[in-house]
Amino acid sequence: MQLITANNLSYSINENQLFHNLTFALDSGSGLHVKGGNGSGKSTLIRILLGLTSPTKGEVIFPEPSPFISYLGHKNAIKQYLTPLQNLDLMLDSSSLESAMTWMRTLGLARVQDEMTATLSFGQQKKLALIRVLSNPSDLIILDEPFVGLDDSSRDLLSKFLSARLDDGAGLVLTSHIDPQVSCDELILREKEDV
Amino acid sequence: MFNLLFAEAFKLRHRLRAWLGPLLIMVLVLIAFPLSIDVSQYDLNKFYFSIIVISLLMISFLATESIFSEDYEDGSLEQIYLEEKDFYKVALTKISIYVFFIGIPMSLIGSVFSFANGVSADELPKIFVVLLFSTLILFNLFAFGSALSLNKGAMLGVLVSLPLTLPVIVLLGRAVRTIQYGEGFLEVLALLLGVGLILMAIMPLIISATLKTHLE
Repeated sequence: MQLITANNLSYSINENQLFHNLTFALDSGSGLHVKGGNGSGKSTLIRILLGLTSPTKGEVIFPEPSPFISYLGHKNAIKQYLTPLQNLDLMLDSSSLESAMTWMRTLGLARVQDEMTATLSFGQQKKLALIRVLSNPSDLIILDEPFVGLDDSSRDLLSKFLSARLDDGAGLVLTSHIDPQVSCDELILREKEDV
Repeated sequence: MFNLLFAEAFKLRHRLRAWLGPLLIMVLVLIAFPLSIDVSQYDLNKFYFSIIVISLLMISFLATESIFSEDYEDGSLEQIYLEEKDFYKVALTKISIYVFFIGIPMSLIGSVFSFANGVSADELPKIFVVLLFSTLILFNLFAFGSALSLNKGAMLGVLVSLPLTLPVIVLLGRAVRTIQYGEGFLEVLALLLGVGLILMAIMPLIISATLKTHLE
């Protein structure tokens, strides 16, 4: 089953064309690693796939019913004035909370679960934000630089999780400068070139 | 919808400065004003309500200044968009929760202070209802201003929404006169409620489009 079809996507900002006539499809159980230098349009492409940004040209087609998407971008979408537990309460359904608590323990966040999120380190906050993705039974996972700020063991855990989700039939789109160690097709964005 | 209501109430409850701050400033203004001028109680009765109205205007702006910016800055708005596909329900919920947590206490404070400054007890419920309906209108207008100036500083929001609030001030003045002279109060009240409900239905749509534009 195709989870996303992108047809002739182009995006320009001012005079700067980030990408042109980008066409690809993502099937369930497959992954796409979007690569490219800084400013090549990786995050913009992700935002276009999510419907957060409109492309200059082209379209993104989802099947009916739309797949359930888990997304983590550059912003963590967690509240600094709440504790990690309160954040989880806020961001997840009650059905996902049990799984979230398991991930809290696995990622070493259980001991800080009642502390203010603002006092956690960058990496700990990133892990907390990732639990939104890890605990949700989504059809499609979209991640923008998910490995930044994570220690080696957490990176391995995330890679294993993503591989397992691909085996389960979920789709994956991610951008990362760090090798995700997940079996994915690659899409390389180069500035001012057709892909 | 209940989940959204619960989530917004939960967030606002934990942001003490966001709801308690405006209320304390309102109390401070209403206490400080009579102390700062030399007038008799008789004179104060005549124009104290104007001070309440102006403080209501200022505090409504202050209270709604960060109504969307916090979610925008931490990325929560993106997550909300992915779930809801628009911001109508979120805007409606946020405004309702702000009216509940800040607007109702503001109206109570305004009523109590007008009582303390010579307004009779019989007129107290009338003043409370007038202030509450005005708050409903002001919060909608300032929430729009806040959405408009999400990443452009508060000035744009003030410039756009402040002129829209002027008819509300005129209407409030009219409401006070009807309370004082005992005629036509219900008509003015119905007008305030009608405008409030219309704004409550329309403004979240406009805010939703505005927020989406900011995400682009």
